Amino acid sequence: MEKIKQNPIVKKLGFNRIVLFGVLLLMYLLFCILSDNFAGLPRILSTLNYAYFLGFLALGVTFVIATGGIDFSIGPVMFCAALVSGYCLNSYGVPMVLSLIISVLVGALFGTFNGYLVAYWSVPPFIVSMASMNIAKGVASVFTKTQSVSWPQGVSEQGWFRKFVKVGNFPVGLLIFLAFAIICSIILNKTKAGRYILSLGSNKEAVRLSGVNIKKWEMLAYVICGTLVGIAAIFYVAAYTTVQPGYGDTYNNEAIAGCVMGGTSMAGGLASIGGTVIGVFIIALLQEGILALHFTKDYQLIITGLIVIVAVYADVVARRKKN
Amino acid sequence: MGEVILTMKEIDKSFPGVHALDHVNFEVKKGEVHALMGENGAGKSTLMKVLTGIYKKDSGTITFEGKEVEFHNTREAQDAGVVIVHQELNMLGHLTVAQNIFIGREFKKGLSIDDKKMNEEAAKLFKKLHIDIDPTETMSNLTVGKQQMCEIAKAISHEAKVIIFDEPSAALTETEIEELFKIIKDLRKQQLGIVYISHRMDEIKVITDRVTVMRDGTYVGTLITNECTKDDIINMMVGRVIYEDPKEHSMVKSDAPVVLKVEHLNAGRMVQDVSFELRKGEILGFSGLMGAGRTETARAIFGADPKESGDIYINGKKVIINSPEDAVKCGIGYLSEDRKRFGIVVQKTVAENSTMAALEKYMKGLFIDKKAEKQVSEEYVKSLATKTPSVDQLVVNLSGGNQQKVVIAKWLVRNCDILIFDEPTRGIDVGAKNEIYKLMNKLAEEGKSIIMISSEMTEILRMSDRIVIMCEGKKTGEVGIEEASQEAIMNMATREIG
Repeated sequence: MEKIKQNPIVKKLGFNRIVLFGVLLLMYLLFCILSDNFAGLPRILSTLNYAYFLGFLALGVTFVIATGGIDFSIGPVMFCAALVSGYCLNSYGVPMVLSLIISVLVGALFGTFNGYLVAYWSVPPFIVSMASMNIAKGVASVFTKTQSVSWPQGVSEQGWFRKFVKVGNFPVGLLIFLAFAIICSIILNKTKAGRYILSLGSNKEAVRLSGVNIKKWEMLAYVICGTLVGIAAIFYVAAYTTVQPGYGDTYNNEAIAGCVMGGTSMAGGLASIGGTVIGVFIIALLQEGILALHFTKDYQLIITGLIVIVAVYADVVARRKKN
Repeated sequence: MGEVILTMKEIDKSFPGVHALDHVNFEVKKGEVHALMGENGAGKSTLMKVLTGIYKKDSGTITFEGKEVEFHNTREAQDAGVVIVHQELNMLGHLTVAQNIFIGREFKKGLSIDDKKMNEEAAKLFKKLHIDIDPTETMSNLTVGKQQMCEIAKAISHEAKVIIFDEPSAALTETEIEELFKIIKDLRKQQLGIVYISHRMDEIKVITDRVTVMRDGTYVGTLITNECTKDDIINMMVGRVIYEDPKEHSMVKSDAPVVLKVEHLNAGRMVQDVSFELRKGEILGFSGLMGAGRTETARAIFGADPKESGDIYINGKKVIINSPEDAVKCGIGYLSEDRKRFGIVVQKTVAENSTMAALEKYMKGLFIDKKAEKQVSEEYVKSLATKTPSVDQLVVNLSGGNQQKVVIAKWLVRNCDILIFDEPTRGIDVGAKNEIYKLMNKLAEEGKSIIMISSEMTEILRMSDRIVIMCEGKKTGEVGIEEASQEAIMNMATREIG
């Protein structure tokens, strides 16, 4: 076992991530065996649809968790972004391109709001994000007058944005998502921002006393998160068309579950984008499999809830061992 | 000294990759204070942890009161009468003294806790120890010294027969140490066996009867304190000769310019109207007792804590420092006394910590130039003789002294001209200490200016060109090294201010 862990290729990819990928494959096989019609392209495409928006949420929240913070507003903010921009599109005749930009901006705005309060006012992230979760829901309802918003179908003139997800049966979304994941990984591991975000997650005071403007970098993590949440909204509506105000909280847990399962530590300082990506696929597959086996969504809630607890506990145990 | 109460024989303990204890022998007699000494990592703490059941020994025997014993946890050890008083105090600040002492075994009256009885019992304990503490006082209102007394009282209340003191004096003032010694002498009279772990050589001579020295997990030897000199003990600890001579005269050139001038600095109760100058190539010692306001002064200058008033000039130019970021831009580096909390980022590598304060110098466009980063950190690992398998090692895996060197490297990479070293050798073993002294001298020679805060008199006298003395938040004196003496400094450090 130790020998395998020391193998340079294994080291590069990360032993835990390889195991996690194995879990993903096993789960897929399991669902194929348990459900007659699981194997095949339709289920895979449907799983991917779920993985895209969830993936962007999880990528975003990875940055926040890396600082030692948390964001429980990502799901509702995603819905808020989709609703506000969709309402602009439908009711005010805003062009599609601009609507998509509005979606990203709404996400970024919430990220900036959260980040500013956390970094500059030292309000605990838990409180800030809980509050802005409700604010996002409220803003969306007020803006849309509590009506659901439907985005244009693929066949319509404005339906071109759905090509972000797939062209024919080709999953374009997968390429875009992976490209973003790679960019996030580069930001986290190769840039100043990533270095400081991870470092301040590990020991904020030491980084501050090194003469680093920690407030700026801590806030940036939330802004990055919010921006990715805004992008997640686009992928959500491109896959599912209709958004209803007042929802979105369940995705918080799923995104955070994907993130911590992938090896990002809730205590901050450690983060793995690759792990988050695999974690998200596992959650998406779980959702698809549970539906295929004719269970209700409730079971998925239970399972993702448990996954978060188990993953965080595993991190706690690993830390204890190290000390 | 009476008969032997505790014997540890041929104790062996290995951790993965480390032979922590190699057949170590140790014994304690009734009515003796037995010092356990050694550099950091020598195995003192491990040995005591084996004794009190925190670690399981691989082999060897422990005999306590004539019977072979093996404690499986501290609770069992406590019940048998072997108690450890930790360096870090484990007290709950919001509870009263008595509640703390009897925590986990409160006296009960029916279903409720009998606070009255606990207060009485605590008062009895204090009386026995000749300590003057009110059992009903809230713990957080006590000084660190008094809290430690409570910790001792708690140990006694377990009917301890052997008490282990793990660096008890680290956070105490001189007077508190004296009080502590009085209590220890008292316990000795009551025929308890006492193990005393400390780095402070002076204390060892004052309070202990015998000294056992450990080095690299092995037993080196046991001496009778009265019959040996300080140098004997140090030589046993390090296996080589260390000189602790005071500096004879200032090494600063007479025409060296003033690089840092602080005028009328105020920051809360701990920093009141502090003014001083620091010259190029100078090591300025800051002496004083614990709580004199030296660290607070340094943190205020560095912008780590807000200041109320006062001016700072660098190279004759007035500067505004409101954050560590500003200070670093002015060329000031601050090496904190608490390196775990304020110095290093433990989950990052040696290389990543080394460039923490100067990352912009190691950027290639948007990206960190990891090659250059690695190169510069390797350079400093080499020049500071930091012991690490590679610069990719996580700092958490390094020993205290080597972690300290990484923090020093961080400021050298930044090329700071003014360095504030706050207790630079605290918790560092003698060998690494010497290396850090040498390094500071070299830096001063190269024209860096250093403020060195130290609570060790020998360190102050050995390193400083000039000494500023503080007491209760005020500067109470300033002497050149030529006219400095321990007595004079101590006098100013304890002076009453009218």
